[in-house]
Amino acid sequence: MATGTDQVVGLGLVAVSLLIFTYYTVWVILLPFIDSQHVIHKYFLPRAYAVAIPLAVGLLLLLFVGVFITCVMLKNQKVAKKAQ
Amino acid sequence: MTKLAQWLWGLALLGSTWAALTMGPTLGLELPLTCREVLWPLPAYLLVTVGCFALGTVGYRVATFNDCEGAALELQTQIQEARADLARKGLRF
Repeated sequence: MATGTDQVVGLGLVAVSLLIFTYYTVWVILLPFIDSQHVIHKYFLPRAYAVAIPLAVGLLLLLFVGVFITCVMLKNQKVAKKAQ
Repeated sequence: MTKLAQWLWGLALLGSTWAALTMGPTLGLELPLTCREVLWPLPAYLLVTVGCFALGTVGYRVATFNDCEGAALELQTQIQEARADLARKGLRF
């Protein structure tokens, strides 16, 4: 078994993913079948956000990946120019 | 058929089914309101589910990966030897 920080980080990731999965499942799949006067609706944003938020997060991720690739490529270009 | 073609084919099939069902009412198909409410965010839901599954699997494998103390020490000594050897031969780090 892995030890120390490895275990903590790994189990933390598992917990986060389970949390996101259950919240999102309740939001998208279960809420439409629950009577609109029930108190549980207080804990969930309007349904439009169920698509808007993952979309925004996905675009942000793509942005980070693009910025990272750009930085690495610029750094390589600078090193190559210095070596000439 | 290549794996890519299979995946694209499956995605196209699911995507067209979803599109047909969500745009159904504009073409005359009537589904109960709750079904339509669950149906239209489905692609986003499937993406988030796959992402969560991937994250969870990575986390689980990180937590259960076996440490090999002996191999780690051996590797460290080999790295030191290699560095000393190459430094002697003139390679600068």
